[in-house]
Amino acid sequence: MVKQTKSRIIEKNRLTELLDKLAHDYHLIAPVRDNNVSFRRVESGSEVTLDYINTVLSPKNAFFPQTETLFRFSRDDSRGFGIEEQDDEADREQVIFGIRPCDARSLRLMDMVFNGQYKDSYYLNRREKTTLIGLACFDPAETCFCPTFGIDPASGEDVDILFSDIGDRYLVEASTEKGAALLDRFAEFFAELRGDEEQLREARKAGLAGMKKLDVKAIADKMAPLYEGDYWDSIGMKCLGCGICTYLCPTCHCFDIADVSLDEGGERFRCWDSCMFPEFTLMASGENPRPNRKARVQQRFFHKLKYFHDRNGELACVGCGRCIKYCPVNIDITQIIEDVTSGKAGNE
Amino acid sequence: MKATSEEVQTRVKKLFEDGSIGHFIGYETGSDSLRVTPCFLKSGQAASRLVWNPLCANNLSKYLLDFKNVEGKVGIMVKGCDSRSVVELLKENQIDRDKVFIVGVPCSGIVDREKLLEVLGVSPGEVVAVEDDGDAFVVTLKEGKQRVDKEKALRGECLVCKYPTPVVYDVLLGEAVSSLPWVGDDYSLIKEQEALSSEEKALYWNRELSQCIRCYACRNICPVCTCSECIFDKKAPRWITKANDVSENLVYHLVRAFHVAGKCIDCGECERACPMNIPLRSLNKKVEKDLLELFDYTAGIDVEQQPPLTTYKAGDLDDFL
Repeated sequence: MVKQTKSRIIEKNRLTELLDKLAHDYHLIAPVRDNNVSFRRVESGSEVTLDYINTVLSPKNAFFPQTETLFRFSRDDSRGFGIEEQDDEADREQVIFGIRPCDARSLRLMDMVFNGQYKDSYYLNRREKTTLIGLACFDPAETCFCPTFGIDPASGEDVDILFSDIGDRYLVEASTEKGAALLDRFAEFFAELRGDEEQLREARKAGLAGMKKLDVKAIADKMAPLYEGDYWDSIGMKCLGCGICTYLCPTCHCFDIADVSLDEGGERFRCWDSCMFPEFTLMASGENPRPNRKARVQQRFFHKLKYFHDRNGELACVGCGRCIKYCPVNIDITQIIEDVTSGKAGNE
Repeated sequence: MKATSEEVQTRVKKLFEDGSIGHFIGYETGSDSLRVTPCFLKSGQAASRLVWNPLCANNLSKYLLDFKNVEGKVGIMVKGCDSRSVVELLKENQIDRDKVFIVGVPCSGIVDREKLLEVLGVSPGEVVAVEDDGDAFVVTLKEGKQRVDKEKALRGECLVCKYPTPVVYDVLLGEAVSSLPWVGDDYSLIKEQEALSSEEKALYWNRELSQCIRCYACRNICPVCTCSECIFDKKAPRWITKANDVSENLVYHLVRAFHVAGKCIDCGECERACPMNIPLRSLNKKVEKDLLELFDYTAGIDVEQQPPLTTYKAGDLDDFL
């Protein structure tokens, strides 16, 4: 980490060319508009869209893919079978362009899981080989509430380089050595500051006024007594038990591991799993400790607002608002947080 | 005249009071002015929470499955499309007609939230209320009112809806709507897709379904997906793996389309729920069109009529044999 930030500007009309170069030299992952805007591998700058508040899927896929082969196995005449490590894809240097500050913070939370007591080499390898180029948020959605978790949507705290759209150009700030090195490597695209950048940025920050900021200071303690009681009844009743909230969540990290075997061999893979699905806790005996939607919905909020905090000292939410925006039955985590902190939840 | 929220509230309160129902499933205002959320009542006291407006997209009929074992009747609010899935649930004996009290509301189309916001060019917070006014939605914004032509802001299924008035109900609130003026050829999009070559179809669906994240929202929200254990959740045998790849996704969606063949009533909930914007309705619509052409069958109209794929008649088509 360098304390000193390195600041430059890039003219807007040179961005596509820069992205072309990045795509050439790195595995570049950036927002692409298809049926919706999502992070994808891009081959050229022209594929990238900048017209989005946030993507539907968070960029967690780039570190913790929805489906990931751990290794392959095959029959082998001499020894019976052989194992082949599946690592070719993971060794590339990648750049993520356009990550929002909330999603960048979520990686810090995921690190607590994958770089905690157990080191997850698959995740950590990708994390180490990735340079994050963030895009400051000046026009948040109404479902956004990242300031609740101490996140500044205009800051580059959790990225290597932050781009801030200040009109005709981007203010470009590197806050890590990795970021500064990348700026040096592509120095031809960047120019010295003209002097009015800070002022232009401050003006754009006006769009952040009035963002939802909830008081979550004591929420983990306030959750504890809600383990029993009726509060979750009506929420569980509404819940469809689908995986939208967990799969779109940038901090949800549960996975399953399974084998696929064919005659001549197969592979072991891991894939996202969701605590909203009944099989998530189904035991071989047929017993299911979370037998209904209420129990599962309750678990999700307890994990986010209490258990993760008990274990890691942080809440497992970054206020990106995806679960609110996409829930087909309008279960809204901000309403739940407010019910819990105001004491309303305990009185139901 | 269209039913108002007040009429719904008054009627539901009365139904609780005279003992007609012990539970009610309706809508209440959601977390912003463009959302509603399902609302479950156990008494008439909270009936004032209920709303009825052009944002009431959710097909609530699936929730009836959760009320199979409760005391007393369950009241439920249904639009035309929702009533047709109630018919399908009745056909399958999933619910007992005597235990359900159906409050029907004729519907003149539901708002597609994203389309409406795009037409208006505003964020959801600017919207105060949306009302139905014939061929337009009247949107009350923080500053002023705007009329938006329905054809620009309706959900896809509403653009082709032929049953705006519930086909089964115990009480109907508001005047029946016999047809919707904008509804023309409901299969025009399907015909376009049918005209594609097999390669083009494969390309199209592989591309669409490669975006599926297998969250199962389409299945879980589907009012006619009623299996207590879904084939895709079965551990032994595992019919498809949890791995997200396009061939597994394709199996999932095609099997689902065939499984709801003759039961799907095009309420559009699968497509509304899909966070990835996959045009799921077109799969079901194609099957619906085939069933109409091959068997002269339309789902969700008549409780006595069984889906063609679950019945056998001596005269059934067999030219593929």
